[in-house]
Parts: sequence; C-alpha cells; structure tokens
Amino acid sequence: MMKEGKFGTMEAVALTTIVLITKAFYTSIRVLVKATSTSAWFATLISCSVSILLFLLVYLLMKRFPNKELVEIFEIVTGKFIGKILALIFSAYFVYYAGSSLREFVEMIKAYVLPYTPPSAIIFVFLAVVVFFAYVGLEGIARMSYISLIIVIIGLTLILILPLPFYNVDNLFPLAGYSLQTTLFSGLLRASAYSDVIFLAFIINAIHGVKQFKKVGLTSLALSGAIISVTILCSILAFEYTQASENLSALFQLSRNIYFNRFFQRVESIFIFIWVVASIMNVALAFYMSASIFCKTFKIPNHRPSLLPFAFCTFTVTLLPQSLSEVVERNVLFLRQYSAVITYLIPLLVLLLSLIRGKKGEKIKI
Amino acid sequence: MKKKQNFLIMLFSYITYKDKKNIKEFYIPEVDEISKQQQDQKIKDEKDSVHKEKKSRATLKKPVSVAEENEERKAEKKKADDKTISTDIAQNIDYIKAKFNAPANKDIVFREFMIAGKYKAFITYLDGMVDKNIINNFILRPLLNDEKFKDTNEGCQLDYIVQRVLETNQIRTITNPTDAVYEILSGNTLLYTDGCDYYITNETKGFPARGVEKPVVEGVIQGAQEAFNESLRTNVTLVRKIVKNPNLTTEFIKVGQKSQLQCAIMYIDGLTNPAIIDEVKRRIDNLDIDYSQGDGMLEQLIEDNTFSIIPTMLTTERPDRTASHLIEGRVAILVEGSPFSKIVPVTLYTLIHSTEDANMRWPFGTFLRLIRLLGIFFATLLPAIYVAMTNFHQEMIPTDLLIAIAKAKENVPFPTIVEVLLMEVSFELIREAGIRIPGVIGNTLGIIGALILGQAAVQANIVSPVLIIVVAITGLGNFAVPNVSLALGIRLLRFAFIIMGAFLGFYGLTAVFMITGMYLVSQKSFGVPFVAPVAPRTTRSSDLISRKPVWKQEKRSDGLNPIGIGRQPKVSRKWTQEDPNYSYSREGNDDEGR
Amino acid sequence: MKKFISLLIIFNLSSLLTSCTTDSKEIDNQVYTLIIGCDKAVDNKIRLTVQYPTYKGGSTGGSQKSGGGGDSDKESGVVDNTIVQTVEASSILEALDLMNTSTTRKISLVQAKAIVFSEEMAREGIKNYLQPIARFRETRRIMQLIICRGSAQDFIKENRTAIGDSVAKAMELASLQSDSTGYFPRTPFQEFYNAVISPYRQPFAVYAGINDYTHLKPLDPDSPSPLRPQIEILPGDIPRQGDRKFEMIGTAVFNGDKMVGTLSSYETRYLMMVTSSFKRGIMTIEDKNSKQDAIPLDIRLGRKTKIKTHFENSTPVIDIKINIEADIGAIQSRVKYEKLSNISDLNNQIETNIKKGVEETIKKAQTEWNTDIFSFGKKIARNFFTTTEFEKYNWLEHFTDAKINVEVDANVRRTGIMMDSSPIKYSEMKK
Repeated sequence: MMKEGKFGTMEAVALTTIVLITKAFYTSIRVLVKATSTSAWFATLISCSVSILLFLLVYLLMKRFPNKELVEIFEIVTGKFIGKILALIFSAYFVYYAGSSLREFVEMIKAYVLPYTPPSAIIFVFLAVVVFFAYVGLEGIARMSYISLIIVIIGLTLILILPLPFYNVDNLFPLAGYSLQTTLFSGLLRASAYSDVIFLAFIINAIHGVKQFKKVGLTSLALSGAIISVTILCSILAFEYTQASENLSALFQLSRNIYFNRFFQRVESIFIFIWVVASIMNVALAFYMSASIFCKTFKIPNHRPSLLPFAFCTFTVTLLPQSLSEVVERNVLFLRQYSAVITYLIPLLVLLLSLIRGKKGEKIKI
Repeated sequence: MKKKQNFLIMLFSYITYKDKKNIKEFYIPEVDEISKQQQDQKIKDEKDSVHKEKKSRATLKKPVSVAEENEERKAEKKKADDKTISTDIAQNIDYIKAKFNAPANKDIVFREFMIAGKYKAFITYLDGMVDKNIINNFILRPLLNDEKFKDTNEGCQLDYIVQRVLETNQIRTITNPTDAVYEILSGNTLLYTDGCDYYITNETKGFPARGVEKPVVEGVIQGAQEAFNESLRTNVTLVRKIVKNPNLTTEFIKVGQKSQLQCAIMYIDGLTNPAIIDEVKRRIDNLDIDYSQGDGMLEQLIEDNTFSIIPTMLTTERPDRTASHLIEGRVAILVEGSPFSKIVPVTLYTLIHSTEDANMRWPFGTFLRLIRLLGIFFATLLPAIYVAMTNFHQEMIPTDLLIAIAKAKENVPFPTIVEVLLMEVSFELIREAGIRIPGVIGNTLGIIGALILGQAAVQANIVSPVLIIVVAITGLGNFAVPNVSLALGIRLLRFAFIIMGAFLGFYGLTAVFMITGMYLVSQKSFGVPFVAPVAPRTTRSSDLISRKPVWKQEKRSDGLNPIGIGRQPKVSRKWTQEDPNYSYSREGNDDEGR
Repeated sequence: MKKFISLLIIFNLSSLLTSCTTDSKEIDNQVYTLIIGCDKAVDNKIRLTVQYPTYKGGSTGGSQKSGGGGDSDKESGVVDNTIVQTVEASSILEALDLMNTSTTRKISLVQAKAIVFSEEMAREGIKNYLQPIARFRETRRIMQLIICRGSAQDFIKENRTAIGDSVAKAMELASLQSDSTGYFPRTPFQEFYNAVISPYRQPFAVYAGINDYTHLKPLDPDSPSPLRPQIEILPGDIPRQGDRKFEMIGTAVFNGDKMVGTLSSYETRYLMMVTSSFKRGIMTIEDKNSKQDAIPLDIRLGRKTKIKTHFENSTPVIDIKINIEADIGAIQSRVKYEKLSNISDLNNQIETNIKKGVEETIKKAQTEWNTDIFSFGKKIARNFFTTTEFEKYNWLEHFTDAKINVEVDANVRRTGIMMDSSPIKYSEMKK
C-alpha cells in the first residue's frame, strides 16, 4: 500500500482552501453574475452551505468505517469489482479536473499575458512543475500549499483593497438580483463548485483520522466560501453587474484597474504571480489524487512510475477542447454544475448501500 | 541483431522507472519514546559490562616468582607486530622504526636510556610536534634520577614509574600498536621499559599553531571577538569557556585511513535529543575514506543530500554562536586543523540569522533581518525580474523610465538576455579574481574594477546603464547573506531564474519559484524538515524572522525535539514584578513640592 | 550514450528557447503610443492617428538635442521628440497593422494614456470603437477618453509640451488638473464604458479643443470691462495666449454611445458636485450688495453629496443635499463679509448661486437630452428589490419625469490671511 506521510490540520486546511479558491481567478464569477446579477455574492454562499450539508453526509459514511480510505470503503461495501470501477471513476474525474483547469489557465494566460506563445510551451512547463510536485509526494504538496496560501491571501487582499476608489456601494442594489428564486436556484445548482473537497476522503490516513476530516472539511469550506463571496462582492462593487458579466476574469480586471498616481499603475503583472501559484497547487493536487487513487485501487506500492502516463493523459485532456468557448461551456460548466453527481452522489449511494447491507468498519481502540 | 537488442534495452532502460532501494529515513523521535529505549539499553549495557569485567578479571595474570618469570620471558618472546606489543625493547624499537620509515624519516626521534643502570628504556616522539620542555624536565629528569629506583624489583617498571616517578599530568596506557603509532602522530611521547607489554603515553603536544584571533568572516560590532583556530583542543576549550555546564560532553572520533583526522562531537547531555547524537556518530563512524581535508570534506561526506544547492549544516567560526546553538539542543562537530565548527541539524532560518541580532536591542534585531531578507530577494530575483519586465511586461514600467531605457538601448547591439548574462558572468569573474589578488589591492580592485568596467562598457554601448545598477544591487544583496554556502547556492539559483524569466516572463519565474519552494520544503537536515516551523507547522518559534525581545523567548525550537523545551518562565524579568527598593508613588501631581 | 542523450536534450531545449520566444520583445523593438485619435474617414470607416515618442538623443555621449524644441514638420509628422502618424482603415486594429508597413518597430498600445474621438464621430456613435479597446489586451482601461472639437489629427499634433521634455508626463499631469479646478472631469475609459452599458446612468467625456490664440481681442481702452462670471465657453474659445494650444474644458454628454450635447465649464462643476467628484475650484459670484464687483471663492465639497430618492405615485422624487465649504479669495467691494453677522449673507449668496446652477444643469440634462449623467439611477435602484423589476421600469427613459429638489448648504470657513478689509482712503481735491 502507498505510504503517504502525515501532515497536520493547518496544512490540510490550506490545501483544501487553495484548491477551492482557485476558481475565483477564472471565468466562474462571470457566469454566476450573468445568471443572477447583483445577488451573485450570496448565491455562492448558498452553494457553499449546500456543499457543507452534502459534506456532512459524506462524513457520516466515513464515520461508519473509521480509518479506512474511501477506496477501501467502496470495495468493502460494493464488492471488489464495482468498488474498483467507482474508484476509477473518481480517478478519471480528477484527471478531467486537472486537464480542464490547466486548459482554462492556459487560455487565461494567453488572453492576458502571453498571446503569441505556443500553448504547448506553457503546458509543458506547467506539467513539468506539476509532475515534480507529484513526485515529491503528498507531504511536500501539503507543506507547499501552506506557504502558497499565505502568498495567495496576501495578494488577494491587495487586489481587493487597492482598487478602493472604484468601489461604489450603490452597485449592489437592487439587492435580490434577477429574483430570489433565480438566486436560490443558481445557488443550489452550482453547489458542485465546492465539491472538490471530497479528495480529503481519499487521504484520511494522512490527516490523522475522521475527526480531523470533519474539522478540516468544514473549516476550509467556510473559509473558501467567504473568500469567493468577498471576491464576487468586490467585482460587482467595482464594475456594475452589466460589466461584471462581461469580464473574462474578474480578479484580473480588478487588478488592471489599480491607479494611484503616475507611478503606481498597471501593476497587474505582480498578480500573475499569485494566480500561477494557486493554479499550480490546484492542478498538482488533482493530478496527484488521480495517480494516488489509481495506485490505491490496484494496490501498487509506489505512485511514482505512474506519473508519466498520467501526465500524458492530462496533456491530452488539456488539448481536447477546440476553443475557449468550448472550455467554458462544456468542461467548466460540467465541473461547476454537474460534478456533484460524481463527487457527492456516489459516496451517498455507497452510504445508503452500507446502511442497507449493514456493513460497518471495526471500532478502533483509542 | 544482438547489438541492436542491447541498444534497445539500453534505450528502454532510460525511460523505465527504477525504484529506489527502500532505505529507512532518519527522524527525530519524541523524548518519551527515547527515554524508554534508553533505559532498556542501559540495563542491557550494565549487564554486559559486568559480564565483561568478570571476563577480563579472569584473564589478568597472577604474580609469578622470579625464576618462573625469567623462564616465561624467554619462553614467550612476543613478536612485535600490528596486533601485539612485544616485551622485548629492541623489537619494539624496530617495529616503530619500520612503521615510521626511519632512518630515512628524520622526524621521528628515539631516546634510549637506562633507568638507574638497571632497566633499559626509551622514549620516542616526533620532532617539532612536542613541547621539549615537558620532555626534558618532567619525563627525562625524574627518570634519570637514580634515587627513586633504589628498591625496585625486576620486570616491568612502567606501573611503578607511573605511580611514583613520572611528573607529567596526563598518562595513558596503550596496549594496541596502532594506537601507539597514533599517539606519536598526535604529538605525544611514548615511554617504554624493557619487559612490559604496553606503552605509556604522556601528553606533550606542542606543535606550533595560530593564536586565538579575531573572526575573519563573521565580524560583529558589539560582541566577543574570538574565533576558532586550527587546534582542536583550543577550539573545544573556547566553547567550554562559554557553556559552563557539567553535561557538556565532547566525544572524539577518528576519520580516514591514510591520515587519521580527529573529530570532536560536542553536545549537552540531557538536553539534546539522543537520536541526533546517535545519528551523527553513526554517520561519521561508518565512513571508509582515504583522507579528509577538514570539515568541508567531512560535511560533504555526512550530509543528507549531496546534490542540494542549499547547505544543510551551519558553518561558523565563532565559539559564542556555537555555544548558543548547543544550548538550543543541537550538536557541534569540530575537526582538527579547521577553524570552523559545523552545527547540525539546522533549518533555513538559522542560515539567515547572524550573531549581531542577538546582541542588538530589539528594534534593530528585526529591522536588520528584514533588510537581509530584502538583500536575499534582490540577489535571487532582481536580474530575472528586470529581464522579464523589459521583455514581456513593458506595461509595468512607468512611461518616462521606459522611454529612457529605450533610448539608452537604442545603440546597444545585444538583446537584453545576452547583456544580462554577460554582466553577470563578468561580475562573477571579478569576484573570483578579487579573492586571489594579494593584500589590500585585492578588495579595492574588486570594487573599482567593477565600477570602471561597468562605466566603460556603458560608454562603449555594450550594455545599457540601467543594467549596471541592477547588477550592482544584485551583487550587494549577495554580500548581505550571512552564510557563505547559502550565498553560493543563491548565485547558482539566480541563473536558473534569469533563463526562465527570459523564456516565459513572470510565468516562467513563478514556475521556477514553485520548483525551488518544493525542493526546499522536501529537504531534511538530520531529520529536521528544512523549512520548519513554517512548513510542517510546529510550535511557533519566537526567533524566526521577527525577533521577540530576549525576555520573551520562552521556548526552544520544536523541530529538534529537545529534552525540555521550556527555556525560561513567562516572567523572566522578575524585577518588573516587584517595586524597586527606592521608590515613591506617582499618583497625583508629580510636581508637588517643587 | 549519456553524452548523446544530454546533447539531444540540450539541442531540443535550445531550439525551444529560440523559437518559442515570440512573445519576448525587446524594449527598443517597439514604439509606445501615448495617445490614439479617431476621426471619421473619407474613404473608409476610421482614420486613426497615433503619437509615440522617438528614441533619438539617448546615447551616452551627452545630451545633444536633435531637432530642437518647437520644430513641427507637418509632412513627416515629427512633433518635438515624438512622431504623429495617421492612417485610414476599416477598424482600429487593422489601422495599427497598416501603420506597421511603414513604421520600423511594432506599435504597442500598452502605454496609451488617452483616446480622442472627434466630435463628428462622437455624434454618430462610437460603439464600434469602444469594443476593440475593451477587448484588446494591450490597452489600458484607465486611459482618458476625450472628445475634441475639430479633427483628432490636428488635435494630436498639438499635443506637446514646452515646459519639459516628456510628453507622457505632460499628458498624465494634464488630466490631473481636473482635481485642482473642476473645469473638466476625469473620465477613464473604464467609467465611460461602464456607463454605456449600464442601466443606471449615461456616460460623459471630457470636451477638448484647439485654441488658435485669436480669441484674445486686442486691448481696447474704451471697453467697460463688464463682470461676466460663469460664462459659457467652448474649448478652443478661451481668450488666452501662450503655452499649449490644446485645452480641455467642459463635458460632452452622451446618450448611449452618441454624443448629444455639451456642458460648459461651470455646468461641469455642478455635475461633479452632484456626483461627489468635485475636489476644489475657484468660483466667482457677483456681489449682491455691490454690483459689478466679484467675490472669488475657493470652494470645495465639505462632505459627499447626499442623494435620496423615493417614489410618489410612480413619480420619482430626488432630494439632493450638497455641502459646500468655501474660503474667501477676495472681496472686491470691501464689504465686511468676514464679520459674523455678515457671513450668513455671504453663505446665502453662495447657496442661491450654486442651487440655481445645479438645478439648471439637471434641467438641461432632463429636458434637452434626457440623459442621466448624474448616476441618479443607482439611488433609484434602492427602491427596487429585484433587477428584473428595475430593468422593466427602465429608469433611463423615466429620467425626464423626475422631480428634483436641490438643497445647498454653504459655509464660508476661512478668509485667507486677512480679516476685515480697511477702506481705501482717497484724497479729494479741495475745490
């Protein structure tokens, strides 16, 4: 079985939070504002709460089988064959997630920063870094994510505070967006945006058990919900909802608007730094999870040999969509709206099945 | 066909994954685990030693009568070889002569004499390594005094000499010929009388050495001005002067086959985690090398990762710094002939501290550290940021500066990346040259050379003027790094940043930064993760970047798992809790009665 | 074998390095436009003018001024140390490409500080040209949007400075002068574009023009020199001579993307007072107690203007409270306004003046053009709960029905460094 090492609560929270907030840098904000206009900032809070509820249900499943990772639970409850298939679905889902995130990142960077560079150079460098991260292992990724989270939060605070002269509270009115029902509906629908937190269930042994799992999951969901909500809020405050639904990347546009005097303007290139850091952590974790789930399913002791083939798969997924429009309308839409079907529904079904079949894990002596 | 197959196999072997052998990694366990292990070990050792003593007592010879003794002596004339010491004086002299290649080797000296006309004896030493005063006055004189040997019997006199006659202060019995050779090499004197099967060594070290001088590399303004020198005994003494703790232990280990280098390992027993001491000893003991040139080579032989850019052991030439690290719970390694001591295990933060911070008042401790960090930032990233900004992100530069740079670059034929690499390489060249030019000229030439070269290059339109400033600030930042190895590592890293910055702008810079960060985070220095306490989040240290006042530093660093982490109680300045002896109350109008 | 593989890797990497750096451009491979101008073209859609600084005179052999100052060669477009270039094409981006056929370096828009549209083009609608600026990654949305009287090409040719060397600095500082006088607003492209697509308000832009120095009539000793405070002057008509010909005063008012009218200098000030962006300015009012004598005052907003809205039987009612603080600049009549008893009189004068001005400006916007450039829509939106209702109501059409109540609260705080003016003593000839 794979040895993954252990890391503490703070690092786990940092890891999950970074994975969840990276989407604030991309196009998701725009889609949400288009759907709900001025109430986008609490539509996302609704999504967060729904995700918390679903997470608590998954926690119940994990509590039934203390100290067993989700792959093993699948096999215990549904039998070897179907359990393996379910785990492999998750592995494929993480590869798809990594590939789509990478593609979105490449599109963004080509739009804003490096328009004429061939995308394969960008992807190659990125994948090299990601494979190196996955090679070092989960402990290294967790430690690095702690440092990255500090950097990203400092940068994010700067981007949100510096355009202060442009903020106008009146832009938030009318308060309820297109209508309360649309807000609620969008919120519910996009609960999948926070569903990536499920990866914690696969590395329970590294985060010291089920109690920590609950604590880490809830803290990081709350934290990331707050941060994304504040980001959307600032985006609406600075640009009214009409323009906010046009910007390709809300945060980047905010950073482009910073202007204090002749010398302190157009400083958005500094923010490339934090955005690349967050994206690398995001893709590195998804990539590592896919390789690790695969190895756990087939009881391979070392995940390192499988990194290169997975890198190749991710590369293929990255290059599949034909244009930015396809990325936004197919890949990202699937990830933000429908992924709950995979990430939450499957564990829930397994929970129901375990209740029906009466399978339980052994109680551990504390 | 076969050749093709071999070629194919070789090709495939490059892309197949070779699993590393499953080596167990060293880690520092918590203190309670160790104490349990230690207790078990102690009980086991006691049993063994008692057992051994019984055995050795059993092998001691019983006193024999004279007649029997003569027979025995004639019967068992042991050969002097590498394992045993002969009881015949001539054989021993020949053995030592053979070992030292005398009479060709003029360094070794034999002084044969008769004690009280009855016993043949000799002393042997290496000329120049010994203090002749001690040999003349305290070894030869009492031995040649017949008075003391009036009523002695036949046989081995060494025991009697040691107890009643010899006036030296340190005496050891040597039963092993290899040890005997080593003692001579260390500068001690061997004494032998006929009939014994062991030597006596006297401590007579007197080789010439430098005195205790001011520190060369790590100067401070307000602090002690003593530095280590090449003599091991002096160095250990300098540390012991500062740490007056009976538990401060020094262990000696020898390294090397052709030249046995003496290493000393110092630690505070009962404070340092025994696992660290054990690991250090284990690594040094299991070295099988020819010759180690000093502590630089020793560091390379026992460090965790040879190919790492960043050093994982701290080198310092100041005894007060060594002492403060010892009290933290670290281990110091000192090596004969090298005026540096190595401290293990260290974290990245130890490498950027300097002694000045502890001696300065609080506001400056943190402020200077921040400036040093700024220096490190400039040294690593400034040229890369310059290249990335001017090639990819011109919008960040204010327009006036941009036009000025463009105007200056108008007549320069090279692209920016070539300019930067050219200037960096010539700067490195100037630095290397500056080290080797003798005397005062060296330092001045370095600076002036750089300035004049830079100015001339700008005049000749080879580089643009902004670049000179960038390279100069980078050089200054590099000098601000307190640790020489770290500065060298940063110099290398800078080139990687420049190349990636020229390739992909800020995106490339960030990618290299992430790789470096991940690399640092996964390094371990003798079991302590390198970026603790930030990366694995352990107890908050009070001395990382911002330094708390001295009276607030209550805990030792957690990463080392020392035995007893508290250093001082919460209130260490007890004088603040009570009133001064001469005091008055200051309520009401302070100026009453004036 | 190892050597062969390492050679292969080095070769690949270096080919990667040299071929993929298409984004890395040397600084002197590009010229950085400072200002873009758009005119109505004759044979095509748009006539684009760009101005960028040259790199002459930058070698380190000392500062040899090439061409001297004030040398404008109309044919080759060299203006001081910049070059002005014009081309006619079908769109802005294509115009840039066409220019590259003759310009030796790539024209880059990353440092562009302003974009100028001619008035004729603005009256026809500029929505086609807002799009590429908003979408293109190089342009900054913090550049100023200027509408000019006359042709943008001539306008840009006058964009030079006699005070210093750097045109870029002059441009940045020029738009900062809005903070010290309030005669023209600051309209970054971001605000303009936002207002074009916004359901809350309509856009406005800085109005600028070229002064040909002919408006300063020759001195006439017989003229009565009447006091005419707050006259309406269009840019280009200010009676002055000296320094730049380029001047910015007043606002151009837009409905959607079409220009429909202009505001004069004082009306701009009232607009800025209502939107709380007025910083300070000198206002001259006629002394009620002594006609033909002026009282110049240094006024600024005391606190942000309070705007409250509510609906009375489906008529929107807007209450505006402006708080003004003033310092006395001069009292030409030497009436003792600094005395406590007289100050309220002065305050009232100021209040009536400003109230009249604001009401007239808003009425002008309501009745003549029906454009809400004051962003009242944002306050009206507070009365709605959902965006669908608000959009159905379509505030922009109902602006003309709104009832506006203006209240001005003026306070003269300081009197300069003089208090009380002693009367001037004249000596009369005894008959």
